[in-house]
Amino acid sequence: MSNINFKNIKDRQFDAIVIGSGASGGWAAKEFAEKGLKTLVLERGRNVEHVKDYPTTNMYPYEFDHRLETTYTDKQINPIANSCYAYKEDSQHFFVKDHEHPYIQEKEFDWIRGYQVGGKSLLWARQTQRWSEYDFQGPERDGFAVDWPIRYDDIAPWYSYVERFVGISGNRDGLDTLPDGEFLPAFPLNPVEDHFRKSIQTKFKNRYIISARCAHLSKPEPIHIEQGRVQCQNRTLCQRGCPFGGYFSSNASTIPWALKTGNLTLRPHSVVHSIIYDDKAGKAIGVKVIDTESLEELDFFANVIFVNAATLNTNLILLNSKSNRFPNGLGNDNDLLGKYVAFHNYTARITAEYDGLLDYRTDGRNPAGGGYIPNFRNVRKQETDFLRGWAAGFGANRGNVQDRSGVGAELKTSLLDNSKWGNWNVHSHMMAETIPKEGNTVWLDAQKTDKWGVPLLHISIDYASDDWARRDDYYEQMTAMYEAAGFTNIKTSNDPRRPGNDIHEMGGVRMGHDVKTSLLNRWNQLHQCQNVYVTDGACMTSTGTQNPTLTYMALTARAVDHAVKSLKTGTI
Amino acid sequence: MNGNRINRRAALRTMLYIAAGTMVLPACFRESGSKTIGLVNMTINEEQELLLAEVVETLIPSSQTPGAKELLLHLFVLKMVDDCHSPEDQRNFTEGLEGFAAMEDPATGTKFINLSPADRLRFLKQIGDQDNDKITMFYSMTKRRCIQGYMNSKNVMTDLKKYELIPGRYIADFKIG
Repeated sequence: MSNINFKNIKDRQFDAIVIGSGASGGWAAKEFAEKGLKTLVLERGRNVEHVKDYPTTNMYPYEFDHRLETTYTDKQINPIANSCYAYKEDSQHFFVKDHEHPYIQEKEFDWIRGYQVGGKSLLWARQTQRWSEYDFQGPERDGFAVDWPIRYDDIAPWYSYVERFVGISGNRDGLDTLPDGEFLPAFPLNPVEDHFRKSIQTKFKNRYIISARCAHLSKPEPIHIEQGRVQCQNRTLCQRGCPFGGYFSSNASTIPWALKTGNLTLRPHSVVHSIIYDDKAGKAIGVKVIDTESLEELDFFANVIFVNAATLNTNLILLNSKSNRFPNGLGNDNDLLGKYVAFHNYTARITAEYDGLLDYRTDGRNPAGGGYIPNFRNVRKQETDFLRGWAAGFGANRGNVQDRSGVGAELKTSLLDNSKWGNWNVHSHMMAETIPKEGNTVWLDAQKTDKWGVPLLHISIDYASDDWARRDDYYEQMTAMYEAAGFTNIKTSNDPRRPGNDIHEMGGVRMGHDVKTSLLNRWNQLHQCQNVYVTDGACMTSTGTQNPTLTYMALTARAVDHAVKSLKTGTI
Repeated sequence: MNGNRINRRAALRTMLYIAAGTMVLPACFRESGSKTIGLVNMTINEEQELLLAEVVETLIPSSQTPGAKELLLHLFVLKMVDDCHSPEDQRNFTEGLEGFAAMEDPATGTKFINLSPADRLRFLKQIGDQDNDKITMFYSMTKRRCIQGYMNSKNVMTDLKKYELIPGRYIADFKIG
């Protein structure tokens, strides 16, 4: 593909262009290519080929100079990348370094990015839950943001479609607050996690602890083997890239699948400057790209364009897509583009101990991470003086106890002793919904640009008082639940994470019913430029409490289906 | 056994050349000279390096299995403090190391380096009791990094505790005993 001469305009004409190759862009690529459309995927970073470009994947801890720590100098130069839990010596090469891609923080914001083929799908936490009807109804019922133009039934078949290919492990728990999907076997709860599950079920109404649902092949189906992926080997070294394809990434799954069709051209090193709008045609005709190696500016053309650059970069590209018709950014007559950005509040934790079930421990490693507590707060009706609620991760683990206070032979013996096991440690972290607010916004700098001439992004996103009310509720309810389970030494703690550190930034190009109050319609098309679709996190009208990637993938598959049908009927 | 050890040392030397790229060599392998291993921020002389080797060996001594000196954990301590600690930590470490070298054992009036292994052990046990902050900081950094280096050494992870790169299983309810 690299020997295509892009100087010839015929070689720059495609049926579909997809901007970005992360989880949602990869899905757009797969769907278009499978349906026979000549598809171009533009990726701003370098290529990362499955297995071949995972340099650290088989390294032992002692093979890393600093035993997986990052250096003091690196922390000074890249404080934002270092703030991400997954950024370590084994995964640094998949993260954007602060100083290489600056942005302007009007308020403190951790913008965690992965500029390479596969994007952050190499690095994600792989937690995958469906939204429920209650989540889609939220804004309308509670009177915030705008009404979602779709409901659960619109997306349910597409969840199923995506889940079968991705491979999601989970139990059919039968909860209407967190609908079941097409599951591979779940990773089981351990005895203490299960004890918590039972305690909560007995002592609280409508509260459930379930096995965390995750994009891991607990028991691969033929469709996964056909992708070249095999069973998850419980390494939990996912952030290095998985040589087994045990978890879903674009690199292991959708991109090679799309390449096999012969219809995909994958072009790394291609920063998208803007989408080209043709005033006469009244639609978008292509994309302006800067080649980061040659610094050449190149235009690529297509009948339909999918923007999957990841939430904030998708906002940036649209804001920078200025034309006579759209001087404020593509499809932005209402001046709402870049506004109502929201995220998940991850600033709370609660730990404790449990001194029961001490004749058990776990063996091997659990890629699902343990249990998940679906949101039970304000689901069926408003119960509190704050809107919406929170979900939570929950896990228990038990390790060897080592007395490190000694010196000499005593210390050595203690360090090598595998026989003493401590109490169970239990832990939970909050994942709270936030309410999209007009003032949480991004915009382009009028003068300053990056080295490719693309304007720098201003980010002004913050917590609000309702976020702390939800957090207080998490502390209160979880403490009561821990107490009910007989846990001791219960400690709540603030996790001082800045907005963005959840890596669930959403919105800015929200879906809605009408052109006055939203940017996208029910099919993820820009209301005012219908051959441009946005199906990454930027499209989200509200945030729910679920890890959002599964929803982006399902919306993408649904939108491609719509786009291909619309191309056939000539409606776009 | 002895031959094995020599081979292991030779292999270690080769490995260090290859792995580090730069000259990270213990003083005992060098021809002479007072400059120590290739640190970026700190300056540690040969005498200090040899002293640190004796400190880590006292913390985790050789027995039927290798001790800290053979595993070059003194060099690991230096590399970690040099690369992963703040300039302030590094100042405290080097000043604490100087203080430690000069410190005399209250019982015998002898410096650590001149003590017998048993007395060295006793010497380290009472470090916390004395009120020189820098020496305490030097000692706790050394101990923490030494333990980290030991637990993450190839020796421990492959021969003694068996780190599994590919577990291939999760048994949620593994019965103990």
